Amino acid sequence: MNKYLKILEISLQQEFTYKLNFIMWRIRNIMQVLVFFFLWSSVFQNSNVNYFGYSKEKIIAYAFLLIFVRAIIMSSRSVDVAGIISNGELSNLLLKPINFFKYWITRDISSKFLNIIFSFVEITVLFLILKPEIFVQTNFVNIVLFVASLLIASLIFFSIAMLTSFVPFWIPEISWGAQFLVIVIFVEFLSGAFFPLDVFPTFIQNILKFTPFPYLVFVPIQTYLGNESIQLSLLSLTVGAMWALILLFITKKIWQKGLKVYEAIGR
Amino acid sequence: MKQLVDKFKKYLRVYVKMTTNSFVIWLTRRSAFTIFLIGKIVRYSFYFGFLIFLVKNTNGFAGFSGNQILFFTATYVLIDTLAQFLFRSVYSFRQLVVSGDLDLVLVKPVSPLFRSLFGGADPVDLITLPAIIGVVIYIGSLLSPTILHTTFYILLVINGLVISAAFHIAVLSLGIITTEIDHTVMIYRDLVSIGRFPIDIYKEPFKSLLTFIVPVGVMVTIPAKALIGLVSPLGIISSLIFGLALLFFSIKFWHYALKKYTSASS
Repeated sequence: MNKYLKILEISLQQEFTYKLNFIMWRIRNIMQVLVFFFLWSSVFQNSNVNYFGYSKEKIIAYAFLLIFVRAIIMSSRSVDVAGIISNGELSNLLLKPINFFKYWITRDISSKFLNIIFSFVEITVLFLILKPEIFVQTNFVNIVLFVASLLIASLIFFSIAMLTSFVPFWIPEISWGAQFLVIVIFVEFLSGAFFPLDVFPTFIQNILKFTPFPYLVFVPIQTYLGNESIQLSLLSLTVGAMWALILLFITKKIWQKGLKVYEAIGR
Repeated sequence: MKQLVDKFKKYLRVYVKMTTNSFVIWLTRRSAFTIFLIGKIVRYSFYFGFLIFLVKNTNGFAGFSGNQILFFTATYVLIDTLAQFLFRSVYSFRQLVVSGDLDLVLVKPVSPLFRSLFGGADPVDLITLPAIIGVVIYIGSLLSPTILHTTFYILLVINGLVISAAFHIAVLSLGIITTEIDHTVMIYRDLVSIGRFPIDIYKEPFKSLLTFIVPVGVMVTIPAKALIGLVSPLGIISSLIFGLALLFFSIKFWHYALKKYTSASS
């Protein structure tokens, strides 16, 4: 346990070493959320109208929750795994007496910890600047389910980041390509991080529910907003948990297969 | 005059050579090429898919009709893709600076700025461009523009590219001074992506910021507005002057930055 605490400490120090990188990453996140906020504020200019099942207060809450949810789910160091596989640095890690997955989960926790702190500061500042009318959830059950859905979403994102990072085991030259396609494109658009999935027609929403993407951002935010009944939220949580288990299982299997073909190219 | 024509021919030959080399490099990485191509097509499909569903339900917003909103996004995609196609080498410029290999660019009898800015056209963007231009023409035609407004639009799209070139030159210059490129260029991309919706949706002080400080509005929103007929001739002339002024100052900044280059690691 002690060695992972040490890794946590070192990871936090590393995050502070590359301050500019971290600040730029936060600025980029904020900009995306600002676009979301202003776009939907413009759509809901007439505050009495409801679109896609949202009131103005709820869609603004969605925008602010995005800052927090993205900080928890999408801040991750696991995406670096692709690079260390393709340049052979993975060998250094394999020689150390640490569990590969625990190492990266620890590094993810350090990244998330820092990002969460900053997200709170950013939410406060934006709240003071924009002074929005916002929906605040007061139902304790919804909040508990929201926290649980965030944990599940973090595990799903960790698995997706790992799975896309393992592609260089077989095709080293596309270390960034797989992540671009899956994380930058599919996760961004189909998770609800770019827009609420309710914008899609019902049949597309139903298809998406059979993929792991909505359980990353959309389902946690829906749970917080209480847009679905507690029973439906519990059902979504169960499906999300199943996706997390399935993806973690596949991740472990692919990792074992990848190690067998790993050639430490570049070392 | 003859000297100028000869110079133009020389640079055209250099550009064709650099572009061919860049395409050959991409062809050696076919799997990456395919992934990025699929990624771009999917991304644009999502952009338009989302907007079509949104405007269908809301009948437009910020005072614009659904088709007008779609046209703003199409114009953003066009300018962004053209800029990425032309200025892709900016993304790999950092390596030249930190390794000192920029020396090899500086000693060649070609403008280092030309080489650094246009040195690696992106074939992925080139392939997507015809489809994007088709979408722009189709959505634009639904707005029934006059020939004059269409001419203004084309002029302002070119002006948008001039502003984009100015941004990229500033990024290169900052890259020489700070050796940081990746995040600066991504911030630029994010800023420009703000223009995928008309800047009228943003409230003050953000709206003024996007008009005067980071001229995303001049770059993306004003061309689309010109086609709709919402920009006066004075507005168009001011935008063109603004674009040229930005280019002038960015080139000045480039010359200043070059003097700071230390050739470290070479």
